[in-house]
Amino acid sequence: MTFITLEHILTHTSFFLLFFCTFIYWGKFLYINIKTITILGKISMKFACFCITSFLLIRWISSGHFPLSNLYESSMFLSWGFTLIHLILENKSQNTWLGIITAPSAMLAHGFATLSLPKEMKESLFLVPALQSNWLMMHVTMMMLSYATLLCGSLLAITLLIITITKQKNFPILMSYFHLSFNSFIFQKFLQPIENEIFSYKQKKIFYFINFRKWQLIKELDNWSYRIISLGFPLLTIGILSGAVWANEAWGSYWNWDPKETWALITWLIFAIYLHTRMIKGWQGKKPAIIASLGFFIVWICYLGVNLLGKGLHSYGWLV
Amino acid sequence: MATSVKWQVQLPNAKLGKAFGVARNFGGGQVRFLRWKSSHFSVLRITAAAKGNVRQKQKISQTSKPPVVVSPGPISAPSLTEREAENEELANAVVEIASEGELSNSEKKELESRRLSSSNSSSSGGGSSWNYSPRSLGRKILRELSSLQLAIGELFAIAGLSALGTILEQNEAPQFYFDAYPEDKPLFGFLTWRTILDYDLDHIYSSWYYLGLILLLAASLIACSSTRQLPMVKVARRWSFMKSPAGYKKLQISDTLERAKLSDLATLLMAEGFEVFSRGPTLYAFRGLAGRYAPIGVHIALLLIMAGATLSAIGGYHGTVMVPQGLDFQIGDALQPNGILARPSPVMNLQVHVDKFYIDYRPNGEVSQFHSDLTLANPREELYKKSISVNDPLRYGGLTMYQTDWALSAVQVRVDGSDPVNLVMASLEKGDKKLFGTFLPLGEEGLEKAKGISILARDLQSVVFYDQEGRFVGVRRPGSGRPIEVDGTSILVEDVIGSTGLELKMDPGVPVVYAGFGALMLTSCISYLSHSQVWALQEGTSLVVGGKSNRAKVEFEIQLNKILDLVPELKNFEEETVLVSASDSQVTIERKESTDDK
Repeated sequence: MTFITLEHILTHTSFFLLFFCTFIYWGKFLYINIKTITILGKISMKFACFCITSFLLIRWISSGHFPLSNLYESSMFLSWGFTLIHLILENKSQNTWLGIITAPSAMLAHGFATLSLPKEMKESLFLVPALQSNWLMMHVTMMMLSYATLLCGSLLAITLLIITITKQKNFPILMSYFHLSFNSFIFQKFLQPIENEIFSYKQKKIFYFINFRKWQLIKELDNWSYRIISLGFPLLTIGILSGAVWANEAWGSYWNWDPKETWALITWLIFAIYLHTRMIKGWQGKKPAIIASLGFFIVWICYLGVNLLGKGLHSYGWLV
Repeated sequence: MATSVKWQVQLPNAKLGKAFGVARNFGGGQVRFLRWKSSHFSVLRITAAAKGNVRQKQKISQTSKPPVVVSPGPISAPSLTEREAENEELANAVVEIASEGELSNSEKKELESRRLSSSNSSSSGGGSSWNYSPRSLGRKILRELSSLQLAIGELFAIAGLSALGTILEQNEAPQFYFDAYPEDKPLFGFLTWRTILDYDLDHIYSSWYYLGLILLLAASLIACSSTRQLPMVKVARRWSFMKSPAGYKKLQISDTLERAKLSDLATLLMAEGFEVFSRGPTLYAFRGLAGRYAPIGVHIALLLIMAGATLSAIGGYHGTVMVPQGLDFQIGDALQPNGILARPSPVMNLQVHVDKFYIDYRPNGEVSQFHSDLTLANPREELYKKSISVNDPLRYGGLTMYQTDWALSAVQVRVDGSDPVNLVMASLEKGDKKLFGTFLPLGEEGLEKAKGISILARDLQSVVFYDQEGRFVGVRRPGSGRPIEVDGTSILVEDVIGSTGLELKMDPGVPVVYAGFGALMLTSCISYLSHSQVWALQEGTSLVVGGKSNRAKVEFEIQLNKILDLVPELKNFEEETVLVSASDSQVTIERKESTDDK
């Protein structure tokens, strides 16, 4: 009984702390930058990580198996992964804005697990015979950590896209004037070269005087998303391959074109494409970020969509 | 802006002085040389810094010596595409150097073909003459295959088709598609069963276009590794020293430190894990070179996995059996070959006897584990015994037997105190919730109008009885010793006999695939490493430092800045010697005044 109350205490505390962290980091984004609150944010993130770690350990002890057997436990593990990434990256680099991505992700994953799943799914059940293997630890841990890192990296890429798109919207007046007056197909053809000239002129001016910090931020975002995704990619590789080896040990076949396996492969392919497009001349920045943003949705399909909709070896069979 | 293009030329007898003299006349550009001797040949590395588009063909006629055309090979700089982005004209540069006829004809031909192949690859318009000999045709195909855009297109296509395969149900009987995708209500306006079956969309993963795409990807991997990656690694391995400050401006990060010493920087770099080389006033340090090798390993590992998977698909055997407890089967009877590379094995003559099949249950009735006790035997003797369960298969002589399924085969009962009789059970429901049933007829009225007792069971734990009218009578556990009265008959359940579902596999490709898996896991982790390079030049009392990193650009800048911050600034450069020692955890700086005045 005490295990359950402990779990309750830990989940509630960690959720509150993650919410607080999100608040602080987003406040920093809006230039609320008081030193004590920053330190408080760091401490509370560390404490939240500690709480979720303890929760997972207690769950492991109380159920007797590694705490990664159903959607609830894997979502808590995902949120733990986000806090871990946050702490590692904040220690490694001096940037303070990574928390804007990782803190809300951790909070949302946590919230999904604790608030939106029905009570039956939260119970720790016995493992079915197919899951009783030591490979469970390696395969599912690697997959969840890789999801956390890849989601983090693709969120940074989405941020980069948002920033670059808003950069082009610095001249709303000019654009709307032309569009209102000459809103026809024929005239647009005449307008295009004029617009381009004016835009490029204006862009040059504004680029030098105002957008240097934005440009620097874009470069940093690009590099950080690249590095984080390059870290997630080997983890995903190890996860997929350990799953294949496990399948071979359990059922004699290392690849069955199961929907979850196939979508994990698709995720792997998309991120491999991302890593390779960066090598094409002149493609740094926006175009790989589009692919990484596509990867964001594909990771979600792989993690949740397949389980909820599909049949096969991995299904929870929830919606269908 | 002057940029440099580096390449390697094997000129066994070229004399440095003469070649240098000739190159000085060359079009306003600067040529620098590095003579490099290896054990078998003397290699002359020619570095050309040229301005703009340099096609100096017309100058050759002015010199009297026969020209040898030397040009950048397919790869001319550590990161080819980056350099091409910076200086597209320079990638087209052709520098011609007279070698005074010291090359043999074969060497000239080799250089000539290298020039053609390189200018084909580096010039976007491709204005040189085409050579249609088989060798260059093969080289042309290889270059086309190594195109990155093609590889990315292939990956996208494979991803898209795989996704399609998860949406459309695969490997179902044609009737399923007739029902699910009727012609009168096509999905999205065009998807009917006809399109699905015509285009092999019911078995996408084994269709010709999917396998063809994978084959094309394998070809691209081979082409990429041989034409791009291997030369790139050769270039990255070379140490180069930057002797003039101009080169430092072009690096990703560069700085000038006043009153600093090269040796201090060297010590600090070594503490950070760099390998440091210094020659005179210059220094070169690098770290993470493995990160350049590892992508080749990734490609090779992928090829290994594909080869192993092909071997699995067309070699080896597989089969499934459902064997009631107490019976046996011959291994060879249960196996079917996978394809043309399947080779029979002596293990197929053995017999497998199912000694016992039992299920462990938890207190709440859920299944905990399935077990089968198996014995392998040849006609003379028992060879091997093992109890297998779901994650624990039996391996013998290349054959692996997995516990994958189970069923109930019979219920053993005593009817009115008779000897035990086995009533064979039939499967009424398959899948996760199995149901088996059997029938004990009463009376002699023939099969059509037979009335009797229905006996049903879901698992080995309990048996349910229904009487002639179909009414529920009771439940009994096998072996409990309690008989049940049904329609005047007393039935005692002795035992429920299960069948074990075994899957047999002989897969020669598994070792290859496992090797590929291990290699891929390792090399993809190592690929994360970033190859960082630092150059330094001592100019008088100031130290010019520059560096670059191929992957971790921001992290490298932060780290290099930290290192440069630690380099001590000397107050009195001539007289003071500063001892810097750096271990893993700390850097110690001691200032020592020199004793003599000079």
